[in-house]
Amino acid sequence: MTDELPRTELLRTESLSRHFKIGSALSRRTLHAVDDVSFAIGEREIVALAGESGSGKSTIARVLARIYKPTSGEVFFEGKPLSSMTSRQERLRYSGLVPMVFQDPFSSINPVFRVQHGVLRCLKLHRPSLSAAQRLEEAARVFDIVGLSPDMLQRFPYELSGGQRQRVGFAQALAMRPRLILADEPVSMLDVSIRIGLLNLMAKLRGEQGVSILYITHDIASARYVADRLIVMYAGQIAETGPIEDVLTHPRHPYTQLLLSAVPDPRAPLSVAAETDRGEPPRVIDPTPGCRFRWRCPLAIDRCAQVTPELAELRPAHSAACHVAQTSSDEVKAFT
Amino acid sequence: MLEVSGLSVDYLLDRGNVRAVDDVSFTVGRGEFLGIVGESGCGKSTLLFAVAQLLAPPAEVAAGTVTFDGVNLVGLTDKQLSVMRWRDMSVVMQSAMNALNPVKTIGAQFKDAMRAHGKFTAEEIAVRSADVLKMVGIDPVHLGSYPHQLSGGMRQRSMIAMAMLFTPDLVIMDEPTSALDVVAQRSLMVQIKELQLAFGFAVIFVTHDMSLISHFSDRLMVMYAGQVDELGATKTVFDRPLHPYTQGLLEAFPSIRGPRVPLKGIPGNPPDLSRVPSGCRFRPRCPYAIDKCAEVAPDLYPLDGTLVRCLRREDGSLAS
Repeated sequence: MTDELPRTELLRTESLSRHFKIGSALSRRTLHAVDDVSFAIGEREIVALAGESGSGKSTIARVLARIYKPTSGEVFFEGKPLSSMTSRQERLRYSGLVPMVFQDPFSSINPVFRVQHGVLRCLKLHRPSLSAAQRLEEAARVFDIVGLSPDMLQRFPYELSGGQRQRVGFAQALAMRPRLILADEPVSMLDVSIRIGLLNLMAKLRGEQGVSILYITHDIASARYVADRLIVMYAGQIAETGPIEDVLTHPRHPYTQLLLSAVPDPRAPLSVAAETDRGEPPRVIDPTPGCRFRWRCPLAIDRCAQVTPELAELRPAHSAACHVAQTSSDEVKAFT
Repeated sequence: MLEVSGLSVDYLLDRGNVRAVDDVSFTVGRGEFLGIVGESGCGKSTLLFAVAQLLAPPAEVAAGTVTFDGVNLVGLTDKQLSVMRWRDMSVVMQSAMNALNPVKTIGAQFKDAMRAHGKFTAEEIAVRSADVLKMVGIDPVHLGSYPHQLSGGMRQRSMIAMAMLFTPDLVIMDEPTSALDVVAQRSLMVQIKELQLAFGFAVIFVTHDMSLISHFSDRLMVMYAGQVDELGATKTVFDRPLHPYTQGLLEAFPSIRGPRVPLKGIPGNPPDLSRVPSGCRFRPRCPYAIDKCAEVAPDLYPLDGTLVRCLRREDGSLAS
């Protein structure tokens, strides 16, 4: 949870875009799920990717997991472009080094097999040098790391609680000796009292196993709890990014300010004065230039409708894509 | 206005009865906002269904009464109940996508609800439908929209609009915001509160997210393993939680303000209701449990205006 000096870069995206064709042959339109997104994840770093549903955060995870191919742009892993990894061996190596943990622990584990099945299969596929006995040993070892007793390996998924299942998900990822875990809303389906345990596990995996984590979430408070850096997405683009404490204490993009004002916090007084925003994020279909937040933004100026704002550094390592924030010297407040 | 007394609900299963709601009593006054929080499987949704008399087999009210406007609802027939449903008491379900009929327009569904409860002309229905949609901030043109054409927030709002058709005395809400994003969540909560202040109906609001209702509910009821663990004024419960479970829940939330402190959450998992622990049901997860907690099942004790189910609070051995 400390802001160390620049880390070695592990993964980087460059102008990553992913579009989807929608509509019939007569009304062919394009949904811009992710548009021109560039960011980097360092070694041993937890980066939180936050945004509302439809903001493109899960699409990014799927591109990184090679479930989707990018429409344009490139992803570099350890300096090497993903598009150049074409052989089965290279692809297998990548998916072992960058595994994904899914949101729903009730549908992501095969219900007809014992939970060891998934872990052993990962080991067999990704670490073929291990013998059967070594695989079992290794499975017990990763179960121990995620806080499950090794006799859990013999259980069926229905015997496990949601929190335990999600730990199985992390154990499976860990078995492949990953460098970066893509965690897509790993705690959002769990009970509140269980969530913290999983967040602590993520922090522990980073600390003890040295893995980086891309933590995709809509819960800013949990992001603050584990992450070093925050990327706020809006309508397929990055609105703001920077060290998480700095972004939370000095949010520069009006959308980030709106998001923070909406987080329920029993320890803070209710800010009734905050303008109630009833807008919703747009589906970005065949977009024209301009800021995508401008319809909900109380600060929008003419320029926002004409020119798409680019990310610019406004504080050390902290950038926002907002014309108004970039041109005014004071910290402007759209929502408090 | 609503008085629930000694209510117990059993699920009649082949392997024996499971008591999902155990001896729950509470009241809701006119215009009051009662929040009910608890984890999944604590019986909060079952309790709501029992209050609204919507339980379906294998669930069955085993004991207790639900008195609404002086009438005990337990044991009434569907025909007797349907007179007051929507009119005096309405329910907003968790998933608007599943609660709305996907092949009918919003307007047609409003019309159905109104036709079922009286004789109205087409014009009266159109005017009232447009009114309630406007109340929740949706343009009345959407009466002609199908549910899939609306966003999640708008669907949930139109469910609330439908619940408002007859301006009922009590609106029961089962996690209406849990499928929404934080911004939509906050605006919906503010809206519910505004409507409540404007029309004076009472709300029972069930959620697993304590922080969500901290600013909106008048009283808070915390449920654990089918029982009420704590019941008191919302502010008091947040400022001075008495039950160790409530304390644990409150400490399980990271905050976006203040220092970053390591949190522990609550160890273990909620019990299987078919095998509840002896004595206090929270004992296996409780950091303050003593031997006596395994032997004596605590009652709800009044303490400084709050009700709490904890032996160590009752005998005073656990200080605040």
